Amino acid sequence: MPAGLMANAPTAPFPSNPDRGRMQRDRMARLHELMTHQGLDALVLLGNSNVAYATGFVWPLSDAGRATFERPVAVVLADDAIPHLFSPLRTDDRFDMCLPGDHVHGPVFLEFDEGAEHFVDILAGLLPSGSTIALDEWTHPMWRVGSSLFSNGVPTNAGQVIGQAKLIKSPDEVAFLREGLRITEVAAAEVHRRIAPGVRQSDLSAVFLGAIFDAGAEANVMDPIWQVMPSRVGDGPWTTTGDIACPLLTTERPLDKGDVLWVDVSATYGGFHSDFGRTWIVGREPDARQRAQFTRWQEILRAVLDVTRAGATNADLTAAAREASGGGTPWLPHFYLGHGLGIDSAEMPFVGSDIGQAFDESYQLQAGMTLVLEPIVWEDGACGYRAEEVLLVTDDGWVPLTDYPYDPFSAL
Amino acid sequence: VITTEVLPDDAALRLERRSRVLDAMEAASIDILVLGREANARYVSGVPRLWLAGTRPFGAGCVVVRSSGGVHLLTSWDEGVPDDIPHDNLFGYTFNHTNTLAALRAIDGAAQIGVVATDAMSAGAAGLLSSAFPSARVVDGEALMRSVRRIKLDAEVSLIRRAVDIAERSTAAAIASLSPGTTDRQLTGVFMEAMGGEGVCMPSIQDVAWTTSRTRAWHRSGRDSVVAEGDLVVFEAGVMVDGYAGELARTVCVGTPSDQAAALLRRCDDLWQRLFDACRPGAPSSALLTVYDEAGEPPPPMPVAHGLGLGFDSPLVSAHLPTTAATHRLEPGMVLAVTASVWQGGIGAAVGQEPIVITDDGAALLSSVPFAP
Repeated sequence: MPAGLMANAPTAPFPSNPDRGRMQRDRMARLHELMTHQGLDALVLLGNSNVAYATGFVWPLSDAGRATFERPVAVVLADDAIPHLFSPLRTDDRFDMCLPGDHVHGPVFLEFDEGAEHFVDILAGLLPSGSTIALDEWTHPMWRVGSSLFSNGVPTNAGQVIGQAKLIKSPDEVAFLREGLRITEVAAAEVHRRIAPGVRQSDLSAVFLGAIFDAGAEANVMDPIWQVMPSRVGDGPWTTTGDIACPLLTTERPLDKGDVLWVDVSATYGGFHSDFGRTWIVGREPDARQRAQFTRWQEILRAVLDVTRAGATNADLTAAAREASGGGTPWLPHFYLGHGLGIDSAEMPFVGSDIGQAFDESYQLQAGMTLVLEPIVWEDGACGYRAEEVLLVTDDGWVPLTDYPYDPFSAL
Repeated sequence: VITTEVLPDDAALRLERRSRVLDAMEAASIDILVLGREANARYVSGVPRLWLAGTRPFGAGCVVVRSSGGVHLLTSWDEGVPDDIPHDNLFGYTFNHTNTLAALRAIDGAAQIGVVATDAMSAGAAGLLSSAFPSARVVDGEALMRSVRRIKLDAEVSLIRRAVDIAERSTAAAIASLSPGTTDRQLTGVFMEAMGGEGVCMPSIQDVAWTTSRTRAWHRSGRDSVVAEGDLVVFEAGVMVDGYAGELARTVCVGTPSDQAAALLRRCDDLWQRLFDACRPGAPSSALLTVYDEAGEPPPPMPVAHGLGLGFDSPLVSAHLPTTAATHRLEPGMVLAVTASVWQGGIGAAVGQEPIVITDDGAALLSSVPFAP
């Protein structure tokens, strides 16, 4: 296999065996600092990834519908080093190391008035009346019965508190994230070996799903994408931007020789989401034009990497990408040139998104942020190339978090 | 049937569901419904969108306007979008609240809307909605959607049955791989690959196989621990087909069960049979809790029954919600997964769950394999 673009980059300074207890202590220290700064007595967290962040409790995520009624809920108190968890999910031995028994409780069903009332009573036992409570989201029953939660009107957004805390990854977090990326790549390699004319897109998903669990993933995160790209934008679906539609859903469509696949898959490990993107070609080697597209893509990626470091702004990265592409916007306009990766599949920093140029000019990268860079090269009439690279921003540049090759393309 | 195109849900089903929602909006004087939950959005739009695991923050993913009957949908393309949702009603993915606000304000009559209903809420969304609909008050749209969705149309029951079929076959593949030396993780992988082989790649549950603990109820040692002779292993399966969930659970003993393990499996079967008998139209949901109580079995932390449909359907029957269960009635057309769960120190747990539909005179099983494994 030819080496990936990242093969010669410096190795990253994080442990090979992450320490979950240390990771959670670091997270709680961050949350407490932010809570003190904002005058918050408690965070009440309902979102799956926010709960995973605060408690360290990880579980195989369910479909969004089921996840709504079986959701664990976390309560972070300003004066307690350990968060409380309310969950209907079964536990395992690994979980015992995260939280002591007196902080683990039965479920609260906040989708019902009765459940919300019960929860308000529980909070009253944990917090003095008049406490300032931030919520990441709430249900209508909580609004109806939880006057103590809403005594100051619309509560502070606890999601933003988690959003700030999670921006900078600790060495333990990076180690978990990197292992999740490795697991995903083992599964992707397994799928890549099966690519052939006549194989259905859904067969690829079947292999991927089996392989991520075998390789150690907690769960699959999204319906895997193996999009057969049209050669022209006009041959694809109508879009709000007039640009390329991607990602489109997987069906049982059989692959044809020469199909260009844009691959995008993700799994969870240790509460972290992975991200993997490559362009594959079915049943033959890339032709000269496709190789030229890949060369151009590498030039764009390298141009972006050359300016990526702590202190650079998002706009420095987008300008480098535009310049290397000859003045266009070499990324999907409904997404971004890059995004952060962590307990969510896409989180801040968003680079080149529709938040806009002013935001990109004002937003500075910091050491410890992660970035998934996903430029594209598109030649209308000749399709294009897309891949994703995952890296960690450092004081003087970046370090790669993967070294997956670009087969069937050869890196420069 | 091989699906090679992304298509909207069947037109008759889609429009019937939507008209139910519009009727309920009319009855409750709700002008506009802002839905963030995928199941609710799918119900009114009939549009399959990218499947993602886990909860996601509340946001405007789908908007229904009562006066026009129009559905506005968050998507950047029209694949899978039926022609009853015109391009003008599609608003693209955005990371910028200003753009979401613009999309909401562009809805006809936004400034005059008096009542907006949402299926959840957050601080960010509260600010956004008050800017987009300055004269509106916000009410509970999740209650409305739950009420509309609780009784399934015949076509919905058929789709759930299809999902159950695939869940059963995929479970059978995983059970066939059960032998000493394997792990919960590997068995889950077998289930997933079998499901994918059916052309379906969306599980509703991803913790499929779990070896039950002999020392603690509702606990297991870990996904990577090796399955041994005599272990009781639960297979909890869920598959999403065309948006609808089919779920069931079976417990299998590795090798020949001991007399005690066989007795526990029988206890589980007996409990399930009594739960099934209690599923009658007009009965309160609490009848299921009474069955647990009378059998002397402590109910598990998870609900003992939950609705099946597009995701989070009524009823949800839990020992933690006794008053809710006492006031809620089972009605013909409700589809639910009913769970018998028993645990015995020194032996382990047995969990049996079957999908059923409430009929005019009782209940019917939606799975094809008889309950006892």
